[in-house]
Parts: sequence; structure tokens; C-alpha cells
Amino acid sequence: MIDVPGTSNVIASASPYSLRAYLARQRQRIFRHAPHDDRPVVLRHSRIYILPTRRGLALIGTLLVMLLASLNYGLSLGFVVTFALTGLVAAALLHTFRNLAGIEVKPLGAGETFAGGRLAFALALDGGIVAREAIDLGASDGESIRVDVPAGAVRTLSIERDAPARGRLALGRVTLSSDFPLGLWRGWAYIHFPLAGVVFPAPEIGAPPLPAGMAGPDAYAAGRSDDADLAGLREFQHGDPLSRVAWKAVARGAGWYSKQFEGSGGGGPVALEWSALPSTLSAEARLSRLAAWVLAAEHAARAFALSIPGTALPPSQGRDHRRAALTALALYER
Amino acid sequence: MSGRRRSRAIATPLTLPQIRWLGAMLIAAQLPQAPHLPLWIATFGITLVALRLWLARRDVTMRNGALARIPSWTLVLFALAAAWFVRVSYGGHLIGRDPSVAFLFILVGIKFLESRTRRDGTLLVCLASFLLITPFLSNQSPFAALVVLPAILLLGGTLDALGRDVAHGAPWRRTLTRIGAMLLQGVPLAAMLFLLFPRLATPLWGLPQDYSAQSGLSDTMAPGMISELSLSDSVAFRVDFDGPPPPPSQRYWRGPVLTRFDGRVWSGLPQRGQGELAPEQPGEYRYTVTLEPSFKPWLFALELPTRLPQLEMSVDDDPRGAYVMLTPDRQLITRASVSQVTRYTQVSALSDHFPAASAIDVRLAMLPARGNPRTRELARSMRERYPDDRDYIAAVLAMFHDEAFVYTLTPPLLPSDPVDMFLFDERRGFCEHFASAFTVLLRDAGIPARVVTGYQGGEINPRGGYMIVRQSDAHAWSEAYVGGEWRRYDPTAAVAPSRIERGMASALPDGEPVPRFARLGDGWLKNLQLTLDSMNHAWRRNIVGFNHARQHELWRDLDITVANAPWVMAIAALAIGGWGAALLAVMAWRRRQGERAIALWQAACARLAAAGLPRLPWEGPLDYAQRASARWPQFAIAFTAIAESYAALRYGRAAERPDEHDALVATLARAVDVLPAAGSLRASVT
Repeated sequence: MIDVPGTSNVIASASPYSLRAYLARQRQRIFRHAPHDDRPVVLRHSRIYILPTRRGLALIGTLLVMLLASLNYGLSLGFVVTFALTGLVAAALLHTFRNLAGIEVKPLGAGETFAGGRLAFALALDGGIVAREAIDLGASDGESIRVDVPAGAVRTLSIERDAPARGRLALGRVTLSSDFPLGLWRGWAYIHFPLAGVVFPAPEIGAPPLPAGMAGPDAYAAGRSDDADLAGLREFQHGDPLSRVAWKAVARGAGWYSKQFEGSGGGGPVALEWSALPSTLSAEARLSRLAAWVLAAEHAARAFALSIPGTALPPSQGRDHRRAALTALALYER
Repeated sequence: MSGRRRSRAIATPLTLPQIRWLGAMLIAAQLPQAPHLPLWIATFGITLVALRLWLARRDVTMRNGALARIPSWTLVLFALAAAWFVRVSYGGHLIGRDPSVAFLFILVGIKFLESRTRRDGTLLVCLASFLLITPFLSNQSPFAALVVLPAILLLGGTLDALGRDVAHGAPWRRTLTRIGAMLLQGVPLAAMLFLLFPRLATPLWGLPQDYSAQSGLSDTMAPGMISELSLSDSVAFRVDFDGPPPPPSQRYWRGPVLTRFDGRVWSGLPQRGQGELAPEQPGEYRYTVTLEPSFKPWLFALELPTRLPQLEMSVDDDPRGAYVMLTPDRQLITRASVSQVTRYTQVSALSDHFPAASAIDVRLAMLPARGNPRTRELARSMRERYPDDRDYIAAVLAMFHDEAFVYTLTPPLLPSDPVDMFLFDERRGFCEHFASAFTVLLRDAGIPARVVTGYQGGEINPRGGYMIVRQSDAHAWSEAYVGGEWRRYDPTAAVAPSRIERGMASALPDGEPVPRFARLGDGWLKNLQLTLDSMNHAWRRNIVGFNHARQHELWRDLDITVANAPWVMAIAALAIGGWGAALLAVMAWRRRQGERAIALWQAACARLAAAGLPRLPWEGPLDYAQRASARWPQFAIAFTAIAESYAALRYGRAAERPDEHDALVATLARAVDVLPAAGSLRASVT
């Protein structure tokens, strides 16, 4: 989970007794515009809103007409039927409430993606001992997904948002809603976790090949090219790329090993430098090219160093290094 | 989120299960109304629904799940056909209550045929809801209430099905069970609304027109009309007496008074002004009449009323002034016709005569100039012998008694000069023939007289101790102006005295067609009928008859007035809130019961773990129980009971049926109780 920086904390900063602060508090309480749900949220009556759906309104309107007809013609049994259906509608209201009340929503984390892709956020729904049916969950712009949570189960689900540009993408306000059981009432609750993921710059398509490596041997791991031969296994070290793990050995329970290659690759770590790029490129184009090179270096299993204004990463390789590099690119001047 | 997304959800096409739910709901909503419609319309409406169900099934097998769209021109054709059916069936009417109901009946079928989206489904649910109350326009019997129950259940089930995305839907039995539970949960609210929702004393718009003829007395009487009515078992009204009922021979329930005679048909005269009530006197009868809808203005009372009826639709609530009046010829009439079950309290003093108004209407002695010549001749000759009015009347009654007149329910047809033919040729007739001939004979002699129709008799239902007056008790008698007052004469009593004493069935010759009810005798069948009728009476009194006035009585008892309306509203709001809170509390209790199962299971696991057999993280309850049973075979039964009931509670469907749920929790608790403590378990490993 990454905290969203820069969201001004209105509630904390203003005097808690001013009218403005009060109104801001109430607005936050009602609409949850700010991501202040730091902990898992348990839906209670203060958070759950219920209004009739269109179907509900249509049925209530029909009940009014039936009431009018019963009144005019003095139909006692008409009243009985009308009020029995009214009781059903009212009971449905309570069932809709009950279906939502007590659900615990936990933020699990945010994924990562490249600009133009979709960023996934993981949430967990714990329904407790009651079966929850037809719960819709959706971010403010995305489509919603519908889940059933059986009694005693926890459902993990991911909400995806379009990620058009690099930078941080917050999940934003999540609406959890349901019109179960009869579709007459829609109950909903707003939840706003401070959950944000990183959107990496879209890698340039058809980027030029990696620049030449620095002098000296690769300190971390042997380089690998397509014609490299497997030289042997060595004890797994933290930071070794997962693509080199000898999974068969792991599966056998023999322990963790990394495959060692021997080949013609050679060369030291690649230096990926902002300043070395042609000055004709715009900032975004440079970021795109660097992102493409980071991926290429990773693919070629070569260590790389990255330096862009404000950030310099020493040569390294592996998943964490790749993520750090892409994150640095994503957050450049953001 | 989306109005956009939700509107898309409503425009989603209907699935096959949803169409089946809709079809079942529509047919269930149509069936209670069908008997009140012309056969053609009923058949047509239901066939349309069935047609759609059949098409949907065929489509799924033939078109890979896609539902066909019915061409819209066929729908227009259907609608036109429906309009034509309705027009023909209702005598050219297309506007009005009954044709509208008939059209709605067919309309749901047409709409169903073209329904493709959930929005259509919603509309159908709304139309079906309204269709549910239409049968009550004709019939508010307990049976009528019973037959709408399935439709209400199916309506809820359809709503449930419309809300589901999955194509297969939920099992219908479970859905209906849940809807039934929700309906029951809503009953307290419904009951409160029923008792407290204000009723109207007068309708908002025009009262129903009756297109179907209602059986009952009317303001005309032709030969044969009352005898036809007498074959009907249906109840005219029921009476609760405050004290003992009057003797049978005094049970004359006065109804329409007929003055004008055209030689064949008696009819009423328009009445102006108010009649005089009989003076109050000791020994009056006080009683409450529950009148079935007759769609006529008459209220029936024992001769003679000493007060105006106290309608439960109280008079002072009617902005148009007096609701009930007594006409100069002493008919009790309401301003509007009796279109619903009406209750009124009434006081009468038994009397067969009352003083006349100051001036006697000349029309009371008028007869058509021509016709019935033999009667005229007979009257003249008798009048010569008996110049005194009383003597003359006695002579006429004696003639009916002594000569060979027959009281029969199957009188012959009297095509021309009916009085002549009756008196001289056929001599077989029902009460209307005797009353008519008697009155004509009096008028021929110059004595003002008129025909009074109403009911004579009534049967006491021992279950409930009230009196049932049926259409078969319909009767006609005469009233003559003698010695300055109007006096009742019943020529039928002269012919068949037992009619007055013991009812029609005993007076009729053997082999006559009598109403089924009168034939039942005193056997168990009759007892059953009377029991059913007493239930029906209670239903009419308390459910159907719960109108504006009854509600006001209740409000008075509860001290609900306009002045404390805010308090009442507050209390009602509190009650509604209390209802909701109670319901949620029950649900929460169920939840805790579920949690109790977990607590019990965890206690059992902890005890076994302490005894040296911890549950493996991936081990299910049943596997764990097997392992425990292997270690402690002497407790195998307890282990199995614990595991099975816990598994059923957590993973089975049993948790949704309250009784089974509770039983399972009890089993689990008992089985956990049986397990010994961890120490003795550890010690008892064999």
C-alpha cells in the first residue's frame, strides 16, 4: 500500500470547532471524498445509504394507485393486499440493509502497470457469518464487479482502473452497493482507502538497442545471451532474477538455486542515462525509451544503472531493481 | 456508478427462468379474476400468457437461447381484438370499471408477449399487482382472499428472479420460502397500516356501475320475479339482535314499496319529502344489519322503524347532508346505492299498522282503465255485499283461504290479464301473485292499497347467534288504508300460513324445486353450512366491513383524535421503527446462533488439541472427526455428530431454515457436552 501524498488533510489542519470544519467533516462523513479510511472498514448504519431503485419506485407508485382504488371502492381486501405488499417492500428494505451491514472491507494492495494498461487494486470482503449476495463493487470511473460472499468466507477481488498516464494512480472512492434481495432498494456505502498504485511510462515501441555496457565484468551475475549455455547451479542469493531460479529443484524440495550461464554476452552493467539521450526527445519520450531499455536489460538479464534528474540508481538487477527503476521513471516530476 | 451502469442492467434481456417466473406470476394473478370475466376474455388473456411461455421454451431449444421478438403488428392485432372482445362483451362499453379491468386482464398478456427486457418485467410486475385487487370488486369472500396468496408469493419470487444475473437463477422452492418469510415479517406493519390508514366515508369518484345484474329486490315487480329470486341461496343480509329476535311471524323486513300498476307490472313512485318515524315505545327491537352489496338504495328494517338507521358510514361525515332517509311511504333509502358491505344499527317497534299522512295520494287507488275485467267484476259484486272496508278485506282473504289456491314456486306463465288468469283460471301462484291480486281487488273496490316487497322470515344461526336472511326469504305483501291508518295484509298467509311461520320450504308442496339450502334439513350438512356462514359473517363484520366507521370506532377506543394526531403519528413512527429494529434484532440473533456454532466447534477442536490431536490446517471437519474417532473410538459417535452438524451449519443450506438450523446447533452443543475434558481424553487413549 502506498500512501497518496499531497492530499491536504482538511480535517486535521482546520480548527475543529469552526463551522467550516464542521461542514467539511459532515461532507467527508457523507461523501468520503478524501481517502481517510486508513483501516479496514466495517460497514455500519452510519455508512450505509438506501434509496429505492427505479423498480422500487415503480412498485411503490403502483401500490399508491392500488391504495387509491381500494379507498374509492372501499375494498377492505384491496387494502389487505396493498398493505401486505407494502410489508414485503419494507421487509426488503431491511434485508437490503442487512445484506450490507457488517461487511468488512480490507485494502490488500495495488498492482502496477504501464500507461495505457489497467491498474488492479486488491480488496478483501469478509462477510462474517452471514452469506452476502450480489454485492457490487466499483471504483468511481470503472465498471463494477459483482460478488457473492458465502457465510464465513472471505472474497478477494480486484478492481481495475484505466491507467492512461504514468504516475501514481489512486483507487479513489469505492462504492459498494447491492439491491439484493428484490431489486427494490439499492443500498450503498462509500469507502475511500488511501490506496494507490504506480503507472510506469509506456515503453517505447521499436526503441533502439541497449547502449553498450560499462567496462568490467558483471559483478552480479553472468550475462546471458540467446546462445548461452547452462554452466551450473549456485545457491540462490537474494536479488537473483526469478527467471533464473531452478524451479525444478525447488519443486523437488532440494532447495533454492539459481542457474548460472556461460556465454559470449559479456560487458558490464548498462548505464541508462537521461543525459545521454538525444536532446531532441521530449521528457516523456525519454522516459518511454528508458522504460523500454529497463525492460530490455531485464530481459537480457543484464545489470543496469539508471540516472535521471533527481534519481540515480546504482547498477543492479532483479525484480526489485526493475521496479525501483520503473517507479523512478513513473514518478519523474510527479 | 452510475446511472449508466444501472440503466444498462434494467435493459438487460430477460432470461428463460425470468420469463417462466413472469408467466407463472401473471397466470396466478389472472386466475382469481377470470371467473368474473366473460369466458372469451378470460380464455384469451390466459392463452396469451401461455403462448409466450411456449414460445420462450421453443426459442431456447431452437435458437440457442435467444428469445424471439414477437412482430409488433401482431401485438396491434391482439390489442384491437382485445378491444373488440371487451366492447362486445360489455354491451358497447369500453370505458368504465368492468371493461377496464377486462382490458387490463388481456393487456398483461399482450405486454408479456412482447416483453424482452427487465424493464418490461418490472412493468409486468406492477400491472400484475394491480390485477390482484380487481377480483375484490366483485367478491370479497375469504376464498377470494385465499386465491390471491399464491399470486403474491409469485410476485415476490419474480422480483427476486428479475434481480439475479445468473441464467440459472435460484431454486424456486427456496425463493418462495424466503419470500414467504419476508411477507410474514411484513405482517405487523401491514396490520398496523390496515388498522390506522384512514378510510374514506364517501368515494373519491363515481361509484361502480353494475353491468352484471345483481339478484335482489328492485323497484318493479312482475309476476314470476320474486319466485325466481326465491330459488337463490345467497344471503341478503345478516342481523345481530341485541336481545332475543322477534317471533318468525313478525319478521317482516320492509323494502321497496310499489304503488303504480300497469295491469301487469308493479313499480315504485318517485318519493318527495320525509316520512314519519313510528313513535318510540317500550319493547322495541334493537339490532345491527350487515347488508350485502345490492347496488340498490334500500336498507331493510323490521316493520316499523322508530329511528333512522345508524349507518357505520356516519351521517355527519357526509358533506352532502343526510345519507339515509325515510320516504313518505316508509321506505328506508340511502342516497347512494349499497355498493359494499354496509352495516347499520336499527331500532324497530313491531307493528302492522301506522297512521297515514294527512293526504292520501290518489294514485294509491288507481288502476289501468282496461284489463283484468273479470277481477273488476268480482270486486264489484263483493263490494256490494261488503260495503265496510274491513268486511270486504276479510272476505277477500277468506276467498284466498277457502278456495283452491295453491302456493307454488313454479307458477304458470300468465301472458295476458295476469290477475284475471291467476284468480279465475290457474289459481297457482307465489307471494307476488297473491299480493298483486289482493291489491288489485282492493283498488277495484276503491280502497287505497299498495304492494310492499321485502323479506319475510330469517333463520337463526346457532353458531354466532345471528339471523341470516336470504334471497329465498324475499316476499311481497300488501298494505291497505283502512280507518285512517295503513295496515299490513299478507294474502300469502291466508293461503299458506306455514310460509309465514316456518319458511317457504315447509309451505311448498312436495316435489317443488326449492333452494338447496332450504332442503338441507337439520343434518350435518346444514350444520356445516351454518358454521361456514358464521365464519363468513365474522369475516364480513371484521375484515370486509372494516370501513370508515368501524375504523373511527376503533380510533375512539384507542383515543385517537384529530387533536392528538401528532402524537399518533409519532407513536406510529415509533412502532414502525420498533418493527424494523425487532426484525434486525431477530436477524442478528440468527447470526449469533451461527457464531455459536463456530464457538462450539472451536471449543471442541481446542479440547482435542489439548489432548494431543490438533487439527491440521488443511483438515476439514469430517476428516478430523475420522482421525479423532480412530484415536478414541469410544467417542466416535460424538465426533461424527460434531463434525456433521458443524459442516451442515457452515457449508450446507440448512442454516437458512430456522427450525433445522436450531436443531443442528442443539445437536452440536449436546455432542460437545458429551466430550470429556482434555485430561481424561489424554488418559483414555487405548
